[in-house]
Amino acid sequence: MCPSAQLAGLHPRSEELIELTRAYDRGHADKARTQKLVETETQQIIDLQKRLGFEYLVDGALYWQDPLRPLTKSLKGVSSGSRYSRWFDTNTFYLKPVIKGKVSLGEFQPHDFVRSDLSPGPAKWKIALPGPYTFSELSENKSGLSKEQLILSIANAEQKLIQTLAGSGISLVQLSEPCLVYRPYRKEVASSKEIQTALDAIRIVAEHSSVKLAVQTSFGDASAILSQLVNLPLDAIGFDLYSTDYEKLRLKSPKPIVLGIVDSRESHIEDPSWIAHTATLVSKHVEAPDLVFSPNSDLKYLPRTVADAKVEALSSATRIYKETD
Amino acid sequence: MREAEEWADKLEVPSFHDKAKTILKESEVKDRARTILDLSTLYGLRLFEMAGLSNVGVGGEQQRVEMYEHVIRAVEGMAFLGHVQSFDYKYFRKAVAQDKVQRRRPIYLDEFSDVRRHARSPVKVPITGPYTLVDWSFNEYYLRKQTGNNLRLRKEGARREFLLDIVEKVLRPEIRDLIDAGATWIQIDEPAVTTHPEPVEMGMFVEAWNETVKGFSCKFSIHTCYPSEIGYERLAEYAPKLDKCSQLALEFANRDSTKLGTEDDDRGGYESLRGFVENGFDGEFGLGVVHVHDFAGEVSTGAGRVQGRDIIETPELVRDRLVYASRVVGDPAKIWANPDCGLRTRSWDVALAKLQSVVKGAELAREVLD
Repeated sequence: MCPSAQLAGLHPRSEELIELTRAYDRGHADKARTQKLVETETQQIIDLQKRLGFEYLVDGALYWQDPLRPLTKSLKGVSSGSRYSRWFDTNTFYLKPVIKGKVSLGEFQPHDFVRSDLSPGPAKWKIALPGPYTFSELSENKSGLSKEQLILSIANAEQKLIQTLAGSGISLVQLSEPCLVYRPYRKEVASSKEIQTALDAIRIVAEHSSVKLAVQTSFGDASAILSQLVNLPLDAIGFDLYSTDYEKLRLKSPKPIVLGIVDSRESHIEDPSWIAHTATLVSKHVEAPDLVFSPNSDLKYLPRTVADAKVEALSSATRIYKETD
Repeated sequence: MREAEEWADKLEVPSFHDKAKTILKESEVKDRARTILDLSTLYGLRLFEMAGLSNVGVGGEQQRVEMYEHVIRAVEGMAFLGHVQSFDYKYFRKAVAQDKVQRRRPIYLDEFSDVRRHARSPVKVPITGPYTLVDWSFNEYYLRKQTGNNLRLRKEGARREFLLDIVEKVLRPEIRDLIDAGATWIQIDEPAVTTHPEPVEMGMFVEAWNETVKGFSCKFSIHTCYPSEIGYERLAEYAPKLDKCSQLALEFANRDSTKLGTEDDDRGGYESLRGFVENGFDGEFGLGVVHVHDFAGEVSTGAGRVQGRDIIETPELVRDRLVYASRVVGDPAKIWANPDCGLRTRSWDVALAKLQSVVKGAELAREVLD
């Protein structure tokens, strides 16, 4: 086994960028200066991964205001709305998309999703998009579409989006599907029909995809859904080790498993030896051709210095794992 | 300075120039800051009095940098690590428990002393609740003490221990001091509670609440806001288990329509109020009747006006919200008119206009309900 490390989703802004964006928000800093610092820090995040030998690079999405907004803006029939809603059980908020009509792919620019232009040269780029089920669940549906129609129409739009992004250097897309495993905002558990629709939607996105596709779950216990995810035409499946009791898993996966093994909700820097050891313990319960070490969700919940240290820990852990495997 | 002078005139703050000179003459930064904080509190109280509020709180928490950071600065064992995003370009400073926590110094006493000196109306003292303090912090010290391979259980165990230490070592000493100093109504702010509707988390919250208020003779109320979609529903199940909790102050206006009317279809934002009554909570409700954040929607005729990024609700819209809620609760005497949450992100002009609508709307509601 030859584990690698990957990031996904939103990386935190530095203290300097936070100060500048605050000033910008209050009209005390200009847009060009703010954008320049965003670009500089994006390059730093890319450089960090390059230095650590990451195969797939993310740009950190510092210019995303929340995990849904770029996708929202790229879809016809969807608007950003004006209501901030809480992002799961975190102390962060997102603008709740409003579905107003038939959903389809609209106009967008690839650099709305990835700033690969900031690091020219050959590279495999990875982006994280909200999965169709999670996007639909976190939206306000005023369209008259049934839930099933909505999920499937988002899937079709995302499939087209990904095909377009493939031409811009994207090699791997992570569909983030926390709602498959964590729904603190709903009274009822999802019906089996609804879950099946969610899986069908992932299949729509994944089939015929010209880039690699992974599904990542976070915030909740994935043990009930993993056996269904492994049967989809995906290139990797991931889960949150801080919400899923791996000792109860008995999983055979023909695809690599992405272990959310670094906690993006706590500040202590995991000891690389502990990460490697824990991965060894997990591998006794999860048979997979390979493991990928990853944070258990976006690192944006941490101060930047802590997040960067966790990235280093992930990288060190892969080396330790290889040496002891 | 000009704005401070203008508001001194509007609020009839006496001897503004003398006060300003005193501040400028202070050679010690600490003394100067103290004088400014005292003056700010006076402004806040006079603003609320001018609006006509029957309870002036602590004058808008002028002495607090922010509800979380204000407390953590006074807690031994905690250290600030840096800022994290709340939304868009809004952030908060987040701390970590590096050691066993305990109160380093009183947290709200100086402010309360100033308020007592200046206030002409009853005072409610808002304090940040233990569950929120823990939920918004990192937790290294307590996590280190946990063992076992189940990472979820480790985090739960660490969280509970941290929570109970915050209650015992930080908040109970503070509440004791506030009551000794004359506080008769303490509002415990717990915005984090409605974000964790899982039974284990709600159980922890109730345990912490009951430990916090145990043995104290004082009016206690809770404020929470911006829940997940089932946050209020879940809180409604647990609210009757909160000892000595005589009022729930909740945000509703944010989720309500901006049209006049007192029917269910008009007041969808207040629908979840019903769950609290049905689950047996028989205390008062502090009803959020005006929005406190940016507003980008449309407003029906007679319900308010949009002014830049703000909505200024009319008294008639406030009235209809109060009348509807009174009918749901079944007893108008149990309804207090509140803003959804603190107005700190609004300008003073906007805050005053909103609070005047709250007061006038309450008067109109009384006319309807009497």
